[in-house]
Amino acid sequence: MRSSARTTLAAIALVAVLFAAPQFYRSEYVLALGVSFATFAVLSGALNLVYGYTGLLSFAQVGFFGLGAYAAALLVTERDWSTWAAVAAGGVLAAAAGLAIGYSSLRLSRHAFAIVTLSFALLCMIVARDWVTLTRGAMGIPGLPVPVLGLPGGASWRLAKPLDFYYLLIGYAVLAHAVIYLVVSSRIGRAMRAIKLNEELAQSQGLDPLAHKLLAVTLSAFLTGVAGGWFVFYLTIVDPSVFDFYYTETMLIMVILGGPGSFWGVLASCAVLTVVPDLLRFTTDLRMVLYGFVLIIAMLVLPGGLGGWLERRRLARWRKAATRSRT
Amino acid sequence: MDPTFVLQLVVNGIVIGVIYALIAMGLSLIFGVLEIVNFAHGEFYMLGAMAAYFATTDLGLGYWSTVALVTVGATCVGVVVFEALLGSVRRESFERSILLTLGLSMVLQNGAVFLFTTTPKMVQGSYTYTNIGFAGMQVSVLRLFALGLGLAAFAALYAILYRTQVGRAMRGVSQSRDAAVMVGIDPRAVSRLAVAIGIGMSGLAGAALAPVYAVHPLMGFSFVFKAFAIIIIGGLGNVSGAAIAALALGVLESLIGGFLPQVFVDGLAFGAMILVLLVRPQGLFGRGVRV
Repeated sequence: MRSSARTTLAAIALVAVLFAAPQFYRSEYVLALGVSFATFAVLSGALNLVYGYTGLLSFAQVGFFGLGAYAAALLVTERDWSTWAAVAAGGVLAAAAGLAIGYSSLRLSRHAFAIVTLSFALLCMIVARDWVTLTRGAMGIPGLPVPVLGLPGGASWRLAKPLDFYYLLIGYAVLAHAVIYLVVSSRIGRAMRAIKLNEELAQSQGLDPLAHKLLAVTLSAFLTGVAGGWFVFYLTIVDPSVFDFYYTETMLIMVILGGPGSFWGVLASCAVLTVVPDLLRFTTDLRMVLYGFVLIIAMLVLPGGLGGWLERRRLARWRKAATRSRT
Repeated sequence: MDPTFVLQLVVNGIVIGVIYALIAMGLSLIFGVLEIVNFAHGEFYMLGAMAAYFATTDLGLGYWSTVALVTVGATCVGVVVFEALLGSVRRESFERSILLTLGLSMVLQNGAVFLFTTTPKMVQGSYTYTNIGFAGMQVSVLRLFALGLGLAAFAALYAILYRTQVGRAMRGVSQSRDAAVMVGIDPRAVSRLAVAIGIGMSGLAGAALAPVYAVHPLMGFSFVFKAFAIIIIGGLGNVSGAAIAALALGVLESLIGGFLPQVFVDGLAFGAMILVLLVRPQGLFGRGVRV
């Protein structure tokens, strides 16, 4: 069987398992873990698109997440928008912010991009806390209404139970990953990887680095912003803690351990890192201390992450096979 | 508008600006010499303040011995951080250095939260309630001490950079590492010193501000965000640019805070940074460790 056909089959099997799982084992706890996995899968997948494939270390993802969350919540509560429109608007707003900070900082350097994205994320949190007339400050906006999604053919889906959110977020995560997969396996994705490896060489081949970088940042911001919108309706409250640095650190660890630029590696590490720390029941502070150590050790010992390590082993196997066939 | 009030705001702004400068100059120095953006820089400011709190409260040390002890301690920590973590990072692997220092920052910050909780601590010392009256204003003597310490640290840094052989070596490495190696400068020794000085200045800033503001584990986090904006505005790697931008930001924030809502104070550093990036991406004063 060809490897692409195998990948397709594996992906279909994975999606089928995720959708069928609640039919067999339906506890609130497992559903909550599933929602958390789906949300972080989108966050880490979107970060992987920017950092793993395009080589831009973005700290702004949590800003996009919270921006989408606040926009969706405010549009529904203050402006009576439909949930679909509000969540989409949150994604568009996040994408616009991504485009703006990408354009202003990428002209200078990758250093500037990292610094500006970090400042953006922190600014979002501070503004959410201090712009009380819009965001109601640290109190946040509690009691978001139960979203009712209009479906084609006049039907509607009331998201009243955790199970509904499980299906919604898993469905969105699958859709987002399909988009990411299509992009990274296309011509555009190859161009992004070329730019990451050697920008000058890519440019000399007629690729436009800035356009590809901006596309990666904007698409990633959109996917993340929409995830933020869905996630706050699950939480039923939005407050400045959606901008918490905890999200940034967690999704970074997922991408680093999974291997930047490795689609399946990041998905796998996301699954492991959602389930394992929860079973161990650490407090968040202690978990972040451990993540910090993991990050330091990964950077010192295993810079390519799990995916990078597997890739190196695969290359070594090929080399060995090549030398054997030559002799 | 009351002129005394404005003057008071300006004086407070200068004090906070000098402390911003201490942190941002260290950050800029480390970037200039090692091309590493030290994400853990704010945590050393926090640790300096924490250490000052424990030295004053538990050991009963006086103000000046606390400041001296913390500064020396932070400088030694800088040497350790360089030897253990930063020394092995090559200049090309920029993302690696960021993630490494980010990991360090997570360990230090969340470790501090875990050990000391997020409850703010107040440092009570002999000077806590001493004020000096001056042109109709009341200025806390501790703010003046912080100002004096900051200015003394500037003077010391400039003396090192411009009057000593090792300072020339430091500027040389930041201008061209290869050329510096060719004339016999050891970039490792110079980098070690730059990190030690940078972190030492952060610790000093923490010790100097600990008695003025409350001490808590997340204080470094919000501070370093401004320091990043400052080094972009001043020009990455430009130490004097960082000092000027820091002072300007401190005064402007203080003035805006006196008349406008808090959200404008918070947005100022970020807005100024974006504006500088759009209009003059190399920073107001250009690149390089130079005046």
